[in-house]
Amino acid sequence: MTKYLINRILRSLCSVVIVTGVIMVMIYSFLDKQSIFATDPVFTKQKSNAKQVYMMQQWEQFGYLDYVPYSDYLLDEKKAGNIDEETFATAAKLGKDAGADSDVTAQYAAKFEEEYKKKGYEVVRLEGDTQGRTKKYKNGGEPRLYAYKDIPVLKRLVNYFGHIITVDNIHTVEEVEGERGLTFTLRDPAYGGKKFSPALMGNGTLHKYLFYFDSTFPFFHQNLVKINLGKSYSVNKGIDVFDTMTNSQGSFVRSQITYPTGVEEFSADDLHSATYVAGSLASGTLNQKYFVDDYTSVITRKDGLSKLGYSFVIGIIAVVLTYFIAIPVGILMALRKDKFFDKLGTAYIVFITAVPSLAYIFMFRSIGGGLFNLPTTFNMENPTWLMYVLPVISLALPSIANQMKWLRRYMIDQMNSDYVKFARSGGLSEGEIFTKHILKNAIIPIVHGIPTAILFAMTGAIITERVYVVPGAGNLLTMAINAYDNGVIVGVALFYALLTVTSIILGDVLMSFMDPRISFTEKAR
Amino acid sequence: MSEKKIDLSDLNMSDAELFAPVNRDDLESEKITAPRYSYWKSVFRVFFKKKINIIALSILAVLIAFTYIYPAVIHYDADVDPYVNLTDSAGKHLKPAAAMEHYEKSIHWILGAGASGESTFDAIWYGSSISVSLALVCALINMTVGVTIGAVWGFSRKFDIFMTEVYNIVANVPYILLISVVVLIMSASFWSMVFALTITGWIAIAFFIRTQVIIIRDREYNLASRCLGTPITRIATKNILPFMTSVIVTLAATEIPSYISYEVFLSFIGMGMKDMSLGRLIQAAQSAMLTPGWEMEFWSPVAVASIITVVLYLVGQNLGDASDPRTHM
Repeated sequence: MTKYLINRILRSLCSVVIVTGVIMVMIYSFLDKQSIFATDPVFTKQKSNAKQVYMMQQWEQFGYLDYVPYSDYLLDEKKAGNIDEETFATAAKLGKDAGADSDVTAQYAAKFEEEYKKKGYEVVRLEGDTQGRTKKYKNGGEPRLYAYKDIPVLKRLVNYFGHIITVDNIHTVEEVEGERGLTFTLRDPAYGGKKFSPALMGNGTLHKYLFYFDSTFPFFHQNLVKINLGKSYSVNKGIDVFDTMTNSQGSFVRSQITYPTGVEEFSADDLHSATYVAGSLASGTLNQKYFVDDYTSVITRKDGLSKLGYSFVIGIIAVVLTYFIAIPVGILMALRKDKFFDKLGTAYIVFITAVPSLAYIFMFRSIGGGLFNLPTTFNMENPTWLMYVLPVISLALPSIANQMKWLRRYMIDQMNSDYVKFARSGGLSEGEIFTKHILKNAIIPIVHGIPTAILFAMTGAIITERVYVVPGAGNLLTMAINAYDNGVIVGVALFYALLTVTSIILGDVLMSFMDPRISFTEKAR
Repeated sequence: MSEKKIDLSDLNMSDAELFAPVNRDDLESEKITAPRYSYWKSVFRVFFKKKINIIALSILAVLIAFTYIYPAVIHYDADVDPYVNLTDSAGKHLKPAAAMEHYEKSIHWILGAGASGESTFDAIWYGSSISVSLALVCALINMTVGVTIGAVWGFSRKFDIFMTEVYNIVANVPYILLISVVVLIMSASFWSMVFALTITGWIAIAFFIRTQVIIIRDREYNLASRCLGTPITRIATKNILPFMTSVIVTLAATEIPSYISYEVFLSFIGMGMKDMSLGRLIQAAQSAMLTPGWEMEFWSPVAVASIITVVLYLVGQNLGDASDPRTHM
């Protein structure tokens, strides 16, 4: 069994990698890379040459290409000691076009071009964009020189999977003040250093706190291992998809906080989330008021659940409801085959299968909102349990129909088999035959679907969440597609693919526990 | 009736004239005297025995007439007709009664007027002609490709290993993503939508058919047939395909409405086609749903879409039941 499972898991992981590769090829090779700017407000403000450079920078950040501006090249040369300060200053000044360069600039520009062309880069020189006939450049119209090279999809795939799980260590950050190392404290300074609360802190790590305790479930938290599914461009700029899905939403939760400088304030900042941002302490007086080092980037505490959280709460209630209702109703339908109850159930199944889901969700919404006065939109500011009712019903009713349909079918198929006739001739009561014999056999395929139902409760449902304005994860993929947010598309698709393969494997395992006849080992066959 | 007895001696004939020997015919004796059986005749006999089928079929006929004939009869032009009343500020978002009063008492206004003063009734039928065509074209392509490949998939063990891996991969690519990428690369037109829905849509059908073929493939009668030297193609077309007819019809019955539903869903989330299909109409009228007095604009395309899908599903399911020879007794 173990050997079989390991084999299965490895093969599944292979197909997950291939799926991700296919999706990457689809969105990175077939789609115009210009489209990522479609909803970017910064992009529309950029003018002239600056727009080109902005595009290059963004493309580099989101993994499309490798971009090297001429100034970076000069800086590297200076750092390596090949040129001195003075030559650097003159060489960095580009003329309006290549002909207008000073001798020094022309020499280094030519060197830059030669070096990067040799490496297979495309070298671009943008001429200065002047206002009319004057010599003054337009806003953003300064001349530019840079080199870029497209990153092939395969390399991108390797990079992506190479960075999918990162383990924070004391050499993560390039430059850090003070000595790199880990410190263990029994009294967490985030609570003023008086309360007993063990924490492991690092210097040189990306996160200041690696392990800590706090008052939210599950009380013990870690920042050591991070999952990176890909950075978002437009949906949640610069934030990883995994964080977008798991960070809490809603209104701020403020509490008394002691900052590293000793300042006490009523704030929603979560000091445990502090990450390193190079040079941030020196950049603003506000940071200097609160922090003593460059670990200044903190997220805020909010009272709502995360996107995944909302989807999961709604989804899991719907799943439980589905099985609690569908199994007895399905059994009853099979028992009363061709009688009124069966016909009623069949009519319901036809309705749900044939009518577009959009139609009945809107119907549930107007019935629930109109007749029963239930809240039809989700309100994170004033959460009540009532607002979960309609989304849960909208999710549960269709899946009840689906489960009912199959359970009835399986039961009726079993009813005609020989072992049932044998049991009946042996004198067992109908009730016994149904619960002990038929149901046991008919329920097995239903059980196979349970892990899928539970795991996919996390992904949320697109229409339900849209109709009831639920801030869940269901809309993430469509939002990302509409905004051309390729990082999020890949991340979410990978997440779905992982869920699929895990749920199928779990389903098979569960089925083999339920039914001893099913075995995945070769020997047993 | 009194029996008339004939005395043979009155006929004045010799024995040789009266009696002639009959040749024993082996071939003739093998013939079974039973009424001629026609499969499709029995299918329709069983189908029309149920009254609900006749009702559903007549509703379907009316729907088809409105979907395909009505727009042609009124010469509906999707580029012009919805906008003829655009400048009439009092002629927008009207309830049926108000619209009939404002414009004229005719069939066009029985569902009221929409956001740009167009006739909701006309728009719905033009939209459903697009939606139904899309569903029919997609179902035809997917069913043909899916059944053919599924049959091969079920028979060939080598192909099975390969296709199962392909299936694992393709089934994991989110459908919405695939469709939106195709729409973005090509355009949001009718045929790119067909392309998007069929490029991987056949694989689920093929997988289903493969499972069915595997179940029937190793039944005793097929083993016997193979032992007698029947070629695989003949087994597939003569032994298995007839067995699968009801399965295929039932599958088609779920497929066609599901494409209509899917089109509605895609349009709703903003990934549909440009043409004013039912889905686009619903999407366009989404805001009208929440405005008191305008609900009709939203609910009428929803209702028409639902009626079309339910009727198609019902007719298809019952035709599927009727095409199972076991119900012909």
